[in-house]
Amino acid sequence: MKKISTRALSVFLIAALVFTGMCVFIREEYLHGRKWAMYFSMFNPEADGQLLDRNGIMLAAFNKDARVYAKDWPTRVSNYHVTGDYAGMTGTGVLNRFWGSASDYDFIYGIHNERSGSLSLGIDAELNNYAYSLLSQYGKGTVMIMNYKTGEVICLVSSPSVDPAYPDEEPEDGAYVNRALTATYTPGSTFKLITSAAAIENVPDLENMTFRCTGELDIAGISITCMEAHGTQTFEQALANSCNCAFAYLTYMEVGQRLMVKYVTDYGFLSPHSIDGIFTSAGNYPTEFVGDPELAWSGIGQSTDQVCPFSMLRYVAAIANGGTLAEPTFVKGGSNGKSTLLVNPATASRLQELMRNNVVSHYAQEIPSFQDLPFCAKTGTAETGAGTSHSWFTGFLQDDAHPYAFVAVIEEGGFGLWAAGIMVNDIFQHMLQKAGTT
Amino acid sequence: MFTDYIFSISRYAIPFLSVVILLRNLRSLLRGRTEPEIWAYLRVGQENVPVYHWESLIGRARSADIRLFGEGISPIHAVLKRTDKGRWSIYDVFSRSGVWVNSVPVPEAGIPLRHGDLINLGGSCVRFLNLSTQQRQRNENKRTGAGKLVNPAFTLGELTLLQLFLLLQHAYSARQADFGTIALSFATLIVLEWCVYEAMRLMNRMGFEMEIFAFYLTTIGLTVAASSVPEDIYKQILLIVAAVVLFLFSGWWMSNLQRTVSTRIAAGVLALGLLALNILTSDSVNGAKSWLEFGGYSFQPSELVKAFYIYAGASTLDALYMRRNLYSFIIFSAACVIALALIGDFGTALIFFVTFLVISFMRSGSIATVLLAVTGAFLAGFLAVTIKPYIARRFAAWGHVWDDVYGAGYQQTRSISAAASGGLLGKGAGAGWLKGITASDTDMVFAYVCEELGLVVAVCMIAAVILMALFAIRCARNGRSAFYAIAACSTSALMLVQLALNVFGTLDMLPFTGVTFPFVSRGGSSLLACWMLIAFLKAADNRRGASFAVNPVNRIMTWEEEQGIEVVSWGKLPRRGGKGGRK
Repeated sequence: MKKISTRALSVFLIAALVFTGMCVFIREEYLHGRKWAMYFSMFNPEADGQLLDRNGIMLAAFNKDARVYAKDWPTRVSNYHVTGDYAGMTGTGVLNRFWGSASDYDFIYGIHNERSGSLSLGIDAELNNYAYSLLSQYGKGTVMIMNYKTGEVICLVSSPSVDPAYPDEEPEDGAYVNRALTATYTPGSTFKLITSAAAIENVPDLENMTFRCTGELDIAGISITCMEAHGTQTFEQALANSCNCAFAYLTYMEVGQRLMVKYVTDYGFLSPHSIDGIFTSAGNYPTEFVGDPELAWSGIGQSTDQVCPFSMLRYVAAIANGGTLAEPTFVKGGSNGKSTLLVNPATASRLQELMRNNVVSHYAQEIPSFQDLPFCAKTGTAETGAGTSHSWFTGFLQDDAHPYAFVAVIEEGGFGLWAAGIMVNDIFQHMLQKAGTT
Repeated sequence: MFTDYIFSISRYAIPFLSVVILLRNLRSLLRGRTEPEIWAYLRVGQENVPVYHWESLIGRARSADIRLFGEGISPIHAVLKRTDKGRWSIYDVFSRSGVWVNSVPVPEAGIPLRHGDLINLGGSCVRFLNLSTQQRQRNENKRTGAGKLVNPAFTLGELTLLQLFLLLQHAYSARQADFGTIALSFATLIVLEWCVYEAMRLMNRMGFEMEIFAFYLTTIGLTVAASSVPEDIYKQILLIVAAVVLFLFSGWWMSNLQRTVSTRIAAGVLALGLLALNILTSDSVNGAKSWLEFGGYSFQPSELVKAFYIYAGASTLDALYMRRNLYSFIIFSAACVIALALIGDFGTALIFFVTFLVISFMRSGSIATVLLAVTGAFLAGFLAVTIKPYIARRFAAWGHVWDDVYGAGYQQTRSISAAASGGLLGKGAGAGWLKGITASDTDMVFAYVCEELGLVVAVCMIAAVILMALFAIRCARNGRSAFYAIAACSTSALMLVQLALNVFGTLDMLPFTGVTFPFVSRGGSSLLACWMLIAFLKAADNRRGASFAVNPVNRIMTWEEEQGIEVVSWGKLPRRGGKGGRK
């Protein structure tokens, strides 16, 4: 029996291990309890508050007894990617953050309700409804519009979407993805805005250069083609024509990979960003050495280039605001002057002229209604390799009364101007018409 | 506002009472001195050496219970064994020089001993002196009685108060329609625990610590059920009543060692039979085929098999020295673990495996065997991971749950977050959000308790199981039979491992295996099994007047008394070939 009682100490060993594990957990909870608890703080049943759009339309409301969403189906669906849901099916909803911030944590009492009340968003729910109704006709994609002076986001829709009040058993593929914040796409010709900035600042005599386009440029046996032969053009005309040959030449002959990488990095295309604590996706650009043909492709937004629509919006919003980016936010009233200098003011000013020229000399020629509004923009038709193209349209209104920057992507939408371009034009026409009537 | 006031008092009162209950029990366990029972003496020269156990090892070795250093005595020489009937026998185990009783050599099957017999251990002679019931009773009266230092009635009173506070919190959070059944369930539990206590008191059994631990954990389990499935709480309380009845029956059954030992093989067959039934009939639920539907109750045979497994695995001391017994145990264990693997219940298979390690280590004392078994298990585990993809996924998610909050880390991240949001004091019974997540009241019950009742109560749950284990270790020292000691220790090992897998799996400190927390997780078979298991602990508790599962000394007759033979006092010992009695 003595033997047995000595061997019984093996149980003591197990007990000691369990005790140690318990102590480790207590310590971990003491150190990380706040982080852990706040991660799902939106589940705190005591939280009490509501989420409103800029005009006071209720998007979501919650208290001890009930958690509800907007009353009507279009508002719920079109605003889903802004609000998110109570179940936390999407990690990018404002609801997660603000509902969560209604609670506070401490080690002794755990999580508890800290404040109640409502939060007004800069989002215009009605505009979102309109934008979503257009976008969903085209299929999958996203539109995001922000005030480039204040940073307020006034429109964000992503299609397909879900009705958070009655979620589908089998939602459409990718319905929970916020395509503006957490998707990346091949940027196509919109990327020429970045190549342009690099060229403006680094290619001496750029404005006096001419580019001759025969419709095809041969680099080490690989040819880069344009839709048509653009003939002899200035830099300004080359951007307006979206001439692949000219920009390929600029990239590999004049700017070079090192500078391209520097600009793409500095403009924030390769890093994730945070909008009110919601993280967005980082993009991609070839940073390891690639040969001239690949470099040339990367300069016109093909190759392995990937851009998150939100990063593009930051960039054009900075250009629109003279190079300074007003920090984007969902909160009504904007980011209180929080801003960063993203683009050299002189470069920004030149890009504004170039983008205005794009619209005046080309887009308005094709679609007359572009003349009604002071658009500055760039289209993109990004080849996906599957024989189809993502349709991009990004830019801003050069108008102090309506200082809005925008980005729109329609997956497999075809030509930039004819899908995303038309849609953005419609959205702004609708918005300004409404503003005019009220 | 008055209810708010009461509610905030209860938030402090519940953790406070939990700590007090545990501390009182701890004090009761620590303060009681470990005073062995004396069953017989060996007269060595002029000295009476007491025999403390029903199974004692005689030899020169440090590990021998009775160390004798006479000429010719081997390190491990003989085993002295007593049956319930009071019949003593001696067995020769590995002695180099043999054992004779009254000059008759001892065969392998042992030889019965009678009062006054002369035992020749390889040349050194000792005399065996049995004790009559009265003599033992006299020794027994000198030992400290259980429940004398810390009054169990008072601790139980505190537990009742705690239950009332919990009920109060339910009154605050439950739907009005459900509160009636919740209150009725709590009332039933309170009546039940006091009935058990009163019955024990009438039988003069005052060691109530194990029952209080078990009732404490069961109370928390009832709270979880009340909060998670208030409409089904009557099922839970019926199960609790059934479990306590089963506990009383098991304890009574095991109070008779002979009966217990002779039904071991039957228990083993029953265990394998239950597992076979499980494999043949059940449907797959959550990747594991471990559930049987049974009149509205879902029933998990592998839980009950735990109790039978320990029952069949424990062994008496004399049998320990026969290798054959250990081999058949190893084969039995392998059959159980393979059956569980076939069912797909790898968490339970792991629990069985560790229990197997503890039992086989306690039986053989061989670390080499344990290492060999562990190596084998690693290979088997590797095989399991490669064959069963869902296990591999769980291992892959381990330590990275925050990387995949909506996928592989779904349950763990929510558990961790909910556990942290309870803080030290908890949000109040029924006021958490984790109950919305599937299996939160079984596999993730630790986080559930952390959230609703706070970290203090959750830690008290772990502490309760650890204290039970420490208690089992302490009992092993004075146990009457190796069977009880091994059963008690392996029971606590089993509960500890199960708890560790549940708690640390939920918190991503171990891979998530989906096993239950003893007594607390909702689910019938687990609760029944746990109450059956603590009968093993009760059977090992031989403090004076402590346990109903241990027959008191004055009710155990010696063989001579049963046969109507008078046990003469030591002074009048018959001497063979001597010069006559001493005056």
